[in-house]
Amino acid sequence: MVEAELWAFIAVSSVAYMTPILLVTIGEIIAERSGVVNIGVEGILLASAFAAVAAAFFSGSAALGVASGALAGALIGALFGLFAVYLRADQIIAGLAINLSSYGFTVLGLIALWGHHGASPRVEAELPYFSLGQGSVPLLSLLALLIAAVAWLLLFRTRAGLALRACGEEPSAAYAMGVNVRLYRMAAVVLGGALAGLGGSFLALELAGSFTRGMSAGMGFIALANVAFSGWNPLPAILGAYVFGFLSAAADALQQEVGYAYLLKTLPYLGTLAAAALLGRRSIRPPQRLGVPF
Amino acid sequence: MIAALSEVALALAAALAFSSLLLLALGYDAASSLLTMFSYGFGNPEYLAAVAAPLVLSALAFLIPFKAGMFNIGGEGQAYLGALLFLYASQGLGALGIAAGALAGALLGGLVGALRAFLGVNEVIASIMINWTLFYVTLFSVSKYLTHPEYPHRSIDVGFSLGAPYSLLLAALAALAAYALLYRTLLGYEIRVVGSSPRAAAYAGIDARRAAVISMAIGGLFGGLAGTLKVMYVGHIDATMSALFGVGFLGIGVALIGRANPLGSVASALLLAGMIIGGHWMELRLGTPPELTDVIVGTTVLVLSAPYALKLLLKGGGLGGG
Repeated sequence: MVEAELWAFIAVSSVAYMTPILLVTIGEIIAERSGVVNIGVEGILLASAFAAVAAAFFSGSAALGVASGALAGALIGALFGLFAVYLRADQIIAGLAINLSSYGFTVLGLIALWGHHGASPRVEAELPYFSLGQGSVPLLSLLALLIAAVAWLLLFRTRAGLALRACGEEPSAAYAMGVNVRLYRMAAVVLGGALAGLGGSFLALELAGSFTRGMSAGMGFIALANVAFSGWNPLPAILGAYVFGFLSAAADALQQEVGYAYLLKTLPYLGTLAAAALLGRRSIRPPQRLGVPF
Repeated sequence: MIAALSEVALALAAALAFSSLLLLALGYDAASSLLTMFSYGFGNPEYLAAVAAPLVLSALAFLIPFKAGMFNIGGEGQAYLGALLFLYASQGLGALGIAAGALAGALLGGLVGALRAFLGVNEVIASIMINWTLFYVTLFSVSKYLTHPEYPHRSIDVGFSLGAPYSLLLAALAALAAYALLYRTLLGYEIRVVGSSPRAAAYAGIDARRAAVISMAIGGLFGGLAGTLKVMYVGHIDATMSALFGVGFLGIGVALIGRANPLGSVASALLLAGMIIGGHWMELRLGTPPELTDVIVGTTVLVLSAPYALKLLLKGGGLGGG
């Protein structure tokens, strides 16, 4: 491929690669603004990818696959919320437990449904595209941008958003003002789970076309890093998601050009680490009571 | 002690109940599967020791920084690097290769601790990024430089091996050393104060940054040793990293089920090792996927994460005795 064409291709395919990262980031921003950190999004990404592939495979409908992925994400979010919000669990440990269980559960399902240890069969159901001049963009990628804008409006321009942010900053003050802190936190975690589930559906049905064991491969944690880079704001999160999407797209496209496939795969991870090291001490601070049970 | 044991037993029981339902839903014979897991898993002491030893060490890798208030999720990457450097160094240095594996892990852990202490980088995110980077670096090294001349799907053989019983002995000694460090030395005291009350630590003049770097370096040392012992027993690194993958992550489960105690981690590592081995028997005899073990460990940790949930369960089940 000609150099310029290759980079143009990478720049466009980055839009698809950024989509799951963006969706997980928005969901996690909502959860963290309410005071709950959910590192279980990595497991949610994986489990919802599995749910989406299973539903699309047996029904033949991509829409049903996406809906199932989002539903699975919301359900796991609710399970996490039950422990993290209502049972006052250590949020990091509960998140780790979700990740560990999801890995085991999806491999179990993989073997039970298809008798395979590594990957599901390919799913033929295709997600809709939006034509844009010469090329086309997955409809869900555009939807993710819209969701980012809606989430920004919800968080910063509505009373409910103000109450939700109060739950993350000063939960006792919010409680005194009549805000049901636990209910807000639970709703934020379930919504965050549903958005991560949407991301998992996209990862499996659009980017991969099948389910492979451990396919989230740290993408949930890249999104967690992006939450901090964005300053807990869905709009800058779009830029961060594009940068990390670009690194993943470049790694995948370039490995067909040059021989060092394994080393190129490290690009998104090293990029995230470098960004975290450069931007680690910025003035934007996390929600004051992030990670503290109420 | 009694309270900790009953909490763990209760959490395990809840996890087993959940796993049985999952097995039934997926169409497996739940009762026979779990029975096979527990009756066959503990039959071969030598194999049990070989599987348990790396888990003790990867549990310690999580546990020491955990006491300082940090989450070392990087045991996985530390194990990869330790295994890789041991494999390489043991070719010429023999037993001294163990030191190479441990030292590599310690440097890596210390690096993550320093990133957190001096640049404000979240250690969870840094660890996961390094885990995946090293996953691919290890695959690259094995496929490019350390490939076995006759079997291209795996690395050359290790140059030294301790054998299973001595591996477990080394792991047990490491657990004793970790216990002594945490509860019998000034450094251990400082680590625990920083972890349980950063403000009290600052008031007492304890350097939290130093505690972060040192506890992560010690954790990394154990993580590197975990990978070293794993590759030592298997004898090589295969092209899909199937034996190494998960050693670090399971260590987190081992440490938490061992109630974040170095000696509890030895007991919990033996239990989980038996379940892992039993899981393979389960697959062999009944076709039940061995990944069930991951589900059981994950759900146990989830229940243990919420002390309040345990109190409810103890009251509800009438098992509390109080």
